[in-house]
Amino acid sequence: MRPILAGIETEYGLHIETRGPEDQIEDAAALVRDYPGERFVGWDYRFESPRSDLRGFRVDRLAVDPRDARYDAGRTYPSDAELRADRVLPNGARIYSDHGHPEYASPECWSLEELALQDQAGEIAVARAGRAYAERTGLSVRLYKNNCDYHGASYGTHESYLVPRALGFERLFSAVTPILIARQVLCGAGKVGSDHDRACAFQLSQRADFLADAANVETLYRRPVFNTRDEPHADPRDWIRLHVVCGDANMISSATKRKAGLVKLALWLEDAGESPKWALADPVRAFRGVSRDDSFRFEIGLQGRSWTTAREVLESYFSAAEKVLGVRPGVPQDGPAGEAGSLIAECRELLDDLENCPERFRRRVDWAAKKAMLEQFLVAEGADWRDPRLRAFDLEYHNLSHSDGLYFALHEMGEVEPRPDAHEIEKRLESAFEPTRAYARGVAVRKFADRLRSVSWSALSLEDEHGRVWDLDLPPECAYSEALAAAPDVQSYSELLRGEP
Amino acid sequence: MTITADDRLRRPVTPNPQRKMGDDDAGPGRPNVPKPGGDNELLKRMKRVDPDQAKRYRQRSGQ
Repeated sequence: MRPILAGIETEYGLHIETRGPEDQIEDAAALVRDYPGERFVGWDYRFESPRSDLRGFRVDRLAVDPRDARYDAGRTYPSDAELRADRVLPNGARIYSDHGHPEYASPECWSLEELALQDQAGEIAVARAGRAYAERTGLSVRLYKNNCDYHGASYGTHESYLVPRALGFERLFSAVTPILIARQVLCGAGKVGSDHDRACAFQLSQRADFLADAANVETLYRRPVFNTRDEPHADPRDWIRLHVVCGDANMISSATKRKAGLVKLALWLEDAGESPKWALADPVRAFRGVSRDDSFRFEIGLQGRSWTTAREVLESYFSAAEKVLGVRPGVPQDGPAGEAGSLIAECRELLDDLENCPERFRRRVDWAAKKAMLEQFLVAEGADWRDPRLRAFDLEYHNLSHSDGLYFALHEMGEVEPRPDAHEIEKRLESAFEPTRAYARGVAVRKFADRLRSVSWSALSLEDEHGRVWDLDLPPECAYSEALAAAPDVQSYSELLRGEP
Repeated sequence: MTITADDRLRRPVTPNPQRKMGDDDAGPGRPNVPKPGGDNELLKRMKRVDPDQAKRYRQRSGQ
């Protein structure tokens, strides 16, 4: 089992008093520009290719939500670079404005533990930018780590997994799609009501209503269960970056780990050519069906008029990992096998808790924590699921403010699992904590920000004290040495990175 | 390992219930939780929430 490099990018909801969605593009960029911490300003867009499709073609344009075009009528905007307001942080993360949402793209991580911590560090970074904006403008700012506005708009929390090019679209689609559908049960953020399709009172996923196709390259409109964007941010001859767009933003840290861990499990199995082969009848219908199933049977239609359940799908991956990969849940093992073993043990425990101990289940799963919170209100007020206040509570569950946010209220009261130590999260903004290429990128920002000419996920360009330009690749599979942080100047840093004497 | 439809009993998928908000059985079942006391801290925090916050909350579509 090889370690899989992964990252999470979260677009945050932004609500500023007296401002609306027509102002959001400018407001989000201004808020990101106000980020007060150490950073390098700029980004190298040359390696971006959002219109390239894994299936071997390139679309002319990406679909956009027609409602957004109305907000832009009669407006002119500055350049893309100005609107995006990219900042690269000392941990190798990128914070920028994406389609009017402050976005934190975590540094690449190998372990799930680190990924979850870096994802939570993003909450701090975005909240700091929000506070700085509020202080400068005098306006009240609310930031939400969620994925919908209850009026038909959605914004994403995307996951990236670096996988060998040899796997290709067909194998990835077949290996990953069933787990994307089934994992909602264990990682959904929960949502009151629906944005599209028939009405419902509560569902597991914030994104299910916005999925229109089984697979496509779109992200802004007609989104897919399986996204086919082919933008590897690495040598395209060797690598694919699997880009998952159907997941929710999680407030509970273990749910973030579980969300990424289940995809990694499918990838490890497919690496070995042994992922379970489920013949899904209709991935979109299955995704929505699981999200909205208040009977908790979570049935998934299969070809041939048969069906299975989310639990059976998950268990098929777990048992295959035990059989094929030698993973031993509950038994300490090193590396990816240990990570997979802990994940499987936890997921099995949760699936049992869902049936037998909902009080324990809701401490670790956002949708269940949120639903239990809403039910307390319903009982206390004698209200029902049609009460319009429920959506306000749903939204405020995701508020980043520790004093106002309802997730943070549940946390204070011990109703959800404890968060990782606040200091551990905060120090993630200062450096990458694993020897990934994010570490090298972060060192360059920390030590040589005034010498950096450009930064991207896969490359750096620096100019040394003698005017020599160093164009440096950041291969994703390498382990980067701590010696980089001790390099006294750009030349020695660059030589170390290139492996030169 | 291959699991296909042929390996399973042929069972029809339960049709999705066509419910609408306001139907008698709409939504999750009646919560099985005791009525919280008046000093419940969570309820106090919830009552501080502007009930129209979600109504006013409008966003552009992101990715």
